Amino acid sequence: MLAALTSALAGISLKSPSGAAWEFLILFLVVIVGPPLMTKARVPGIIGLLVGGFVIGPYGLDLIGAGNTTVPDLGQLGLLYLMFVAGVELDLSLVRIHRRAVLTYGVLTFALPMTFGTVIGLALGWILPAALLLGALLSSHTLLLYPTARAAGLSADRGVATAVGATVLTDTAALVVLAAISGTQVAGGSPTSIAAQIVLGLAVLVAFTLLLLPRLARLAFRYLGTDRVVRYLLAVSSFLAAGTVADIFGIEPIVGAFFAGLALNRLVPNEGPLMDRIDFFGSAVFVPIFLVSVGLLLDPKVMVEGGTLKLAGLFILASLAGKALSAGIARLALGYSGPQATLMLGLTVPQAAATLAATIVGFNIGLFDQSVVNAALVLILASIVVGTLLVDRSVARVPTPEGVGARIGARILVVLTDPAQAALAFALAARIAAADGGVVRGLLAAPRGNAAALEPRLGELLAAGYAVGVDAEPHLLVHHALAEGVVNVATESRASLVLLGVADAAGGSPFGSEAEAIAAGLAVPLGVLLGTEPTVREVEVVREADDHPGCAFDAGGLAIDLGRRIAGAAVEAADLGPAALESPPEGVLRIMPATSWQLAAGSADPRPGSAVLLLPDL
Amino acid sequence: MIAAPLGGCGSIAASAGEFTPVEPGVLTVATSAVPSPGFWEGTPSHPTGGFEYELALELAKRFGLGRVAVKIVHFHRIVRGHLGGADLGIDLITPTSEREEHLEFSTPYLKSAPTVLVRAGTEVPDLKTAQELRWGAIQSTTFVETIEDSIVPESEPVLFDGQQEVVAALEEGKIEATLLDLPLAVAIAERSAGQLEAVAQLPDAEALAVALPKGSSNRQAVDSAIRALTSDGTIESLLEEWVGGDAANPEAEIPLLHTTLR
Repeated sequence: MLAALTSALAGISLKSPSGAAWEFLILFLVVIVGPPLMTKARVPGIIGLLVGGFVIGPYGLDLIGAGNTTVPDLGQLGLLYLMFVAGVELDLSLVRIHRRAVLTYGVLTFALPMTFGTVIGLALGWILPAALLLGALLSSHTLLLYPTARAAGLSADRGVATAVGATVLTDTAALVVLAAISGTQVAGGSPTSIAAQIVLGLAVLVAFTLLLLPRLARLAFRYLGTDRVVRYLLAVSSFLAAGTVADIFGIEPIVGAFFAGLALNRLVPNEGPLMDRIDFFGSAVFVPIFLVSVGLLLDPKVMVEGGTLKLAGLFILASLAGKALSAGIARLALGYSGPQATLMLGLTVPQAAATLAATIVGFNIGLFDQSVVNAALVLILASIVVGTLLVDRSVARVPTPEGVGARIGARILVVLTDPAQAALAFALAARIAAADGGVVRGLLAAPRGNAAALEPRLGELLAAGYAVGVDAEPHLLVHHALAEGVVNVATESRASLVLLGVADAAGGSPFGSEAEAIAAGLAVPLGVLLGTEPTVREVEVVREADDHPGCAFDAGGLAIDLGRRIAGAAVEAADLGPAALESPPEGVLRIMPATSWQLAAGSADPRPGSAVLLLPDL
Repeated sequence: MIAAPLGGCGSIAASAGEFTPVEPGVLTVATSAVPSPGFWEGTPSHPTGGFEYELALELAKRFGLGRVAVKIVHFHRIVRGHLGGADLGIDLITPTSEREEHLEFSTPYLKSAPTVLVRAGTEVPDLKTAQELRWGAIQSTTFVETIEDSIVPESEPVLFDGQQEVVAALEEGKIEATLLDLPLAVAIAERSAGQLEAVAQLPDAEALAVALPKGSSNRQAVDSAIRALTSDGTIESLLEEWVGGDAANPEAEIPLLHTTLR
């Protein structure tokens, strides 16, 4: 028996682990273990992924060999994902609000490091494309530390907003330079035909991403995107499509992915559920794998060579000097305080996404060797450390801006008592939110005891939201007092505007006293929506009758702002006199500030085909 | 506007690594056989074309070197690190850990599946049939191990000194099958006037890379050059020009021989 067992055991042949399962296991272990280890040592987690890549790579334990193509291929997908997320996360509304400062600072913080980098490259005897690419990789930055400023309540600070907005310019400009350089290196033909191809390619790419893609995505979200998995896959497909279009013209696909991110910026609000999923998969899988794949290139032998350290020193000097000079000039020219300028510098110093992208592209097209890649990795590490120190030092010295969170479309809470109003309410909410890249959440009010009956109707809200490109994640608001319930949820969800739907004003709805109670309890504006007609052809804004000195909001100004957002064009308030209390004509949405007596007087339902949005001005 | 100064890249880019040749102005390349169909045409002293020769010319151009000189060195000496004083070896060499003890390897310029070359009419539809054939291989190549471990033929494979010998043995019927890199097998079959056929490829493709002397400071420059030639499509077009579409797109025609049922 024992002999048989021994013989059977002797016959077992084990082989060393290999294949896809083994490679993915190694990868995921690095993703799981690398960042927390580094964080414990007070080093940014991103470094843990790079170091982890080195450990498992050909210059470390050689668990992922030099000839492996799976990890680099996945890393390329992760790079596209990273650039897409960089584009989609940018707060474009800040660019609009602070456009002069954004333009000035964006140009400075791109041009100065670009110039310094190019000069250093040429001084090192590099050919012009390599020198320009070095300039491009030094000129971009990644908003790794923006969450720190946001957590400190500084997202609306002028300096922070300028730094965020400038990122759009720097990264776009850096990627255009990258496109031109890689195009000239990769495409064959005469210089003129190459230049023509790049210009044509960029024109087609801009047209595809900024004109066609948002429309296609909106249509796809509306007709195919009722399933959340499909919405996510549509977002992924959009940057793959843009990357493919770029590639067809010899432009690096990451440029297309970044542009796709900008194109979907409005459709994918930063705080929305789709962005949550994009962030989740990005931070769990794709981006870490990209960083690990970059770590595979880390060669300590090369990194500690005198030549590499000299390059790294020059890169750090050029980047920091360029960014610091930009912040200094911006402080003088645009009137920022010292701490604000330091915070802006801290936000724009860290380099990761576009820098890595430019470096890896330069490596792949043979412009850069391994010592440049390793020097760039040292730069990334140094820039993150310096940026962290600057932001930590300055964030407490910049005063929190007053009256912030006032972007009305940032987080809109739609509260309905009747799903029949969902199409109108979500259509208006979507338009109001769009200008701020905001999110819309839907609630169906259900008195206690009636929740089970109303729950199946949440699907109507979901469908109505999807029809206008909104993932409203509708839930029941179970209450025994509507006013208290709405105020609690609005406070908890940090709503910037509450739209309360009243489908049947005459039928014992929560109108009148309840609307007043909600308005009185809210710290943000309330809009009371009457009517069910979803097709609004015209917006009419009624001038506020009187001033109300004690009022928390400028209801008249708010009415004009909402009118402009909903109509998509400037609107002027008109004095309708007593006619304001009558139902608007068909196809018209009337927005009117309303005092308490007007609320009561206007409580009749508007005629079919029209709608009224009352803004309590109590 | 920036295209004009960027257009040419005929000089050494310091950012991509410096190349220092053994003989100034000359790129000296070691290989084991000239001519080698599709890869080295002409004679050692007057090469006239071929994928690997043209690849060497492209490398020389990138490094700013005026010409390519060829040194014939036996394959088993090349893989033991003896390049005969050449700057590098280009000879369809697969990097292995054993060879890395004697040589530096560049980033791969091709990935190629081991491919079964037989006399026309010999069919190799499955592993069992393959095992019944008489196999031959060039000594010191990775194919010897592949035949022994993956195909496990009934008789020991016969070893030959070089490519010409193994192909001659196949043509003469001394052996019934051999393994070669896919592009080479395709090129030899195409030029055999219908005598030979590439009938099957094995599942695991092998990387083919440029070999450099151990500790060579030129590796970074060669790596960068190969990445550049890959990304701008030069390598693919050379392969199509000298070896043909099947070699450039191996998945298109040649069936896979599954080797897992041992």
